[in-house]
Amino acid sequence: MDFKESKFMYAIAGFIILFVIAQSVFFMVRAWRRGKEIGMKTSDLKNTVTSSALFTIAPAIAILATVITLAGTLGLVLPWIRLTVIGNLQYEVTAAQAAMEGFEGSGAIFGKSIEDPRIFAAVSWVMTLGSISPLFLLPLLLKTIQKKMGKVSTAGGDGKFGDIISAATFIGLVAAFIGVSVAGKAPTLKINGQAIPDKNSMGAGVLSVSVLITSIVVFMLLQWLCKKFKLTKLETFIMPISMFIGMGMAMLIYNISPEIAQIEWRPVS
Amino acid sequence: MKRSYIDRTHTWGRIFSVTAICVLISLPIAICLHYDAWPEARQVLIGLRGVVPIFWTTAVLEIIVYAPMLGTGATYLAFVTGNITNLKLPCALNAKENAHVKNGTEEDEVISTIAVASSAIVTTVILAVGVVAMSPLLSKITAEGSPFAPAFKQVIPALFGALGAGYFAKHWRISIIPILTAIILVVIDGNMKTGTLIPVCIVISILAAYIMYINGLLTGGVKPENPLKSFKKDKTESK
Repeated sequence: MDFKESKFMYAIAGFIILFVIAQSVFFMVRAWRRGKEIGMKTSDLKNTVTSSALFTIAPAIAILATVITLAGTLGLVLPWIRLTVIGNLQYEVTAAQAAMEGFEGSGAIFGKSIEDPRIFAAVSWVMTLGSISPLFLLPLLLKTIQKKMGKVSTAGGDGKFGDIISAATFIGLVAAFIGVSVAGKAPTLKINGQAIPDKNSMGAGVLSVSVLITSIVVFMLLQWLCKKFKLTKLETFIMPISMFIGMGMAMLIYNISPEIAQIEWRPVS
Repeated sequence: MKRSYIDRTHTWGRIFSVTAICVLISLPIAICLHYDAWPEARQVLIGLRGVVPIFWTTAVLEIIVYAPMLGTGATYLAFVTGNITNLKLPCALNAKENAHVKNGTEEDEVISTIAVASSAIVTTVILAVGVVAMSPLLSKITAEGSPFAPAFKQVIPALFGALGAGYFAKHWRISIIPILTAIILVVIDGNMKTGTLIPVCIVISILAAYIMYINGLLTGGVKPENPLKSFKKDKTESK
């Protein structure tokens, strides 16, 4: 049996998953109780759970696809653990690649299954230590940061300035992704010294722009319908529905014409 | 005197952060012990040299940028469970928008925490079920040539299009400059990483909104008092 997918590895994964779920449940129960104490409606809290769960499905499947991408080199279990705690694809590939550089001459390269447990152990050390810093920084910095930010957002008295800054922060974040979807090149993974396109994503082109426009238009349309016909229950699901229809547009274009669907404005050669 | 909910959340967050450090470190230690495979410190350090300078710096930036949007409980949770920009943050913001809670209030904190916790649980379950039961099927769904593959390559535009739409409509004046800035920056450097692009766009968006605000462009032409002046005043008075 492949040591990377042994029962032992699955047992570690189970332990880490239990921790993540326990922490999430603990924070959720505390927040729920607090919500009830300060008079929030149970229906609002339930809606938050339902819409967040629905919202999560598509991105989570995309994350699962990245586990499969990494599995060729690292087995299924280590990427699964890493993407359950802290990880993301770009980081994990960089870390695995960097760790393998410590074993020059061993023949270990990204894309080829690791057969030496020492290299596997080194990869797990680098992945862990390289990404652990937020967990040291948060206990030290978070309270101070929030106090400072809170003061700026309440400056001006009526709270309007705080609302504007908060909206501007969020719009700045979304704008970055809009920019990438409109004009970005396909993300590349630096593997063995070569920039190779990440096969789980594409550069900006016909598909990304069509999907972006579709999800914006569907969102606006559904929001208008909800207001017009007072469909309060549907309001919670506008966002995930628009996202799914946006993704559906990608499938539709691809099935009508795969050639058009593959057009990228700036293909990576 | 009873400590506030937020103060207690910080205490629990710190406890869980330290516990998470121990749980995470236990992974490589367990691998080394079980397989009796100890890489040399030099080999691990060579690897760390390639990731620590970038990722530890990014971590500081991420905390400064995302923590105010997420709130206390959600920040502690999101930084343990990861996938913040592509999942936890959009999820929290969507939930806050749906619940119509005011930014910085305790209601906002409650909704954001519940959203991130729900998202973390669902992601963990999907990953577990996917890996254990569905990995052969999943590789077929997302494989090149599958009719579903194009959809999973377009999660980001679908997600941020739907998420941004409501905000763009509501705050269209604030939206123009950051969107144009992002597009121009990406046109100039098509390979610019979102890790760089996000903080730049956020700073420009905040600056532009601030300038518009003090010039009365967001308050119906009435010029309000410069909020930073009153912020400085408060600071001097508190001294």
